Amino acid sequence: MSKVSTKELIHTYVQLPSVYRENFEELRLQAKESLENTVFPTKKDEEWRFTDLKSITANKFESVKSGILQVSLELNKYHLPEAMNSRLVFINGNFSPIHSSVEGMPDGVIVSNLNNFSEHEQLRSHLGAITNYEDDVFVPLNDVNFQDGTFIYVPKQTFIEQPIHILNVFTDLENPYFVTPRVLFVGEMYSKATIIEEHIGLSNNVYLNIPVNEFRLYSGAHVHHARIQRDSKNASHISRPVAMLDAHAEYHSYTICLGAKLFRNEPRVIQNEEEVDFTVDGLVLIDGEQIADTHSVMDHRFSHGNSHQLHKVVVNDQAHSIFNGKIFVAKDAQKIDSFQENRNLLISDTGKVNTKPQLEIFADDVRCSHGATIGQLQDEEVFYLQSRGLTEQKSRELLVYAFALESVESMAVKSVEELLLKEVIAYTNRD
Amino acid sequence: MLEIRDLHAVVEGEDLKILKGVNLIVNKGEVHAIMGPNGSGKSTLSKVVSGHPEYEVTEGIILFEGEDITEMDADERAHLGLFLAFQYPVEVPGITNKTLLREAYNTIARANKREELDPLEFEDYLVSKLDIIEMKDEFLNRSINTGFSGGEKKKNEIFQMAVLNPRLSFLDETDSGLDIDALKVVSNGVNKISSPENAIVMITHYQRLLNYIKPDLVHVMMNGKIVKSGDISLAEELEANGYDQMQKKLA
Repeated sequence: MSKVSTKELIHTYVQLPSVYRENFEELRLQAKESLENTVFPTKKDEEWRFTDLKSITANKFESVKSGILQVSLELNKYHLPEAMNSRLVFINGNFSPIHSSVEGMPDGVIVSNLNNFSEHEQLRSHLGAITNYEDDVFVPLNDVNFQDGTFIYVPKQTFIEQPIHILNVFTDLENPYFVTPRVLFVGEMYSKATIIEEHIGLSNNVYLNIPVNEFRLYSGAHVHHARIQRDSKNASHISRPVAMLDAHAEYHSYTICLGAKLFRNEPRVIQNEEEVDFTVDGLVLIDGEQIADTHSVMDHRFSHGNSHQLHKVVVNDQAHSIFNGKIFVAKDAQKIDSFQENRNLLISDTGKVNTKPQLEIFADDVRCSHGATIGQLQDEEVFYLQSRGLTEQKSRELLVYAFALESVESMAVKSVEELLLKEVIAYTNRD
Repeated sequence: MLEIRDLHAVVEGEDLKILKGVNLIVNKGEVHAIMGPNGSGKSTLSKVVSGHPEYEVTEGIILFEGEDITEMDADERAHLGLFLAFQYPVEVPGITNKTLLREAYNTIARANKREELDPLEFEDYLVSKLDIIEMKDEFLNRSINTGFSGGEKKKNEIFQMAVLNPRLSFLDETDSGLDIDALKVVSNGVNKISSPENAIVMITHYQRLLNYIKPDLVHVMMNGKIVKSGDISLAEELEANGYDQMQKKLA
């Protein structure tokens, strides 16, 4: 494939209304400059060699008009009971105040759309500070284009009890469009919060979703972060969630991939001081011709860090899963304990899995390990259940369900757990 | 109840014959023991009768209550009332004993046009069966065989048998790996389940199990065939003289 400039592909990226462009001008100008010189990735790039980007390159994406409020859109069924007063809703990237509800937050907490706080000192000093991906077009695309987003600020020793639900909803528009959701989270010392970030496609239309998340956790801050991707089955979703942790911070993230034709997730967690703890778990359930690609980085730059990654994948039909898990341990980052596990279950003869652990360790007193398995359901397991009277189909469903369950059970929020169980059942029962 | 006529079987896709003409009749209310050295085909027989897809029947027929089940799937055989207690019960992390058993019980009930049990009724029913193998309630909520000791796994097989109430059960080396206490619990359980309405076939290498569960008939299997049948004294003879001696005598 010949090289395509990003500008050609996403040809309207500079057409952001001037009222928004004046916000964060420096960030946007810088990003625009780097976009001028980038070409869109192809399979010739090492980091993209297994990932078919056709579902992006075959389309042209327009930006969505800002300021359109879809008041009549009924979203009640997507509400989480635990987050009735801690919900921010974005429809095609536009903040929808009427669908959102934030009440009763502890003193000093900010849970808001970005534009409402565009002059806030914490926002200005953190936005774009930790999102440095090499040779990258996607973060700059988000930088230039985001019209609004989420800003969460949790002051010192403050505990937000209710989970914060960030609901990104995508509707069917006339032409393929692209959106650039943005989340900035700043957790001060010994603060605590749970974030549920959800992406839902209401139709089967084509769109390109490019979310960027920045989670800055200061000393002792604790965050649970669930990401649920239920985009349209014809959408493409390229995600860049980054977390940076100071001493004694804990960050636990789970990404659930159910939708999108192409999903590329690049979670990064950066250990910025000694003694941190984090997890980067994932569950991928794909079928049809879906592609789900996770390129994760666990970056230990200082000593005494614990990290754990369980990435579970079920592949049906012609679907294709790609996993590349990097663990970096810097030269003087001793006593790191890091474990990575990628377990793949192939339930069709035509599914495909590429998995590659990548450990780059420059310290000598660390414990880092990884494991990757690709398997099918064992005949003996199926026979065992069948000999108890379950049909072969039911036996297989139950085994897939059990395989996926482990990830679902680690969800911090009850209704999310229930929602995912339903999704897992729907996936295994689809025939 | 069960009639096996001249049964020949191979591992699916291979030529090696494992069963070479087995004949066996089991009547309602009977307890049988099939003994034999390693590799004699006794475990294979139990798997072939329960419909393991790894084996292919090349000759012969299996009749259950007069119905030809030779080509039936394992679940259909279970619906008719066949049960296999596995030598190596499979671990299934993520599915609890309770979930499996309710699904199994209700599937079998549906197939036989009997009434299904709702979750509460089923819970009571399950708890009522726990005594049979001297297990506590929490056993029901553990993932199937996951992290179970060898003894717990075997007890779980007998528990499943008690819950599903099959007409004919094959117990494949249920005694292997059990210490004396666990063996007593498991045997007691089997004796409690055993009734004039059902039948049990024990597959075992050693005579030990037969001290606790008394068989009406003992069969010796060698080289893919039942070579001798008799009463309990046959097992005692084997215990005293070993399989080699018997093989020589038969030759």
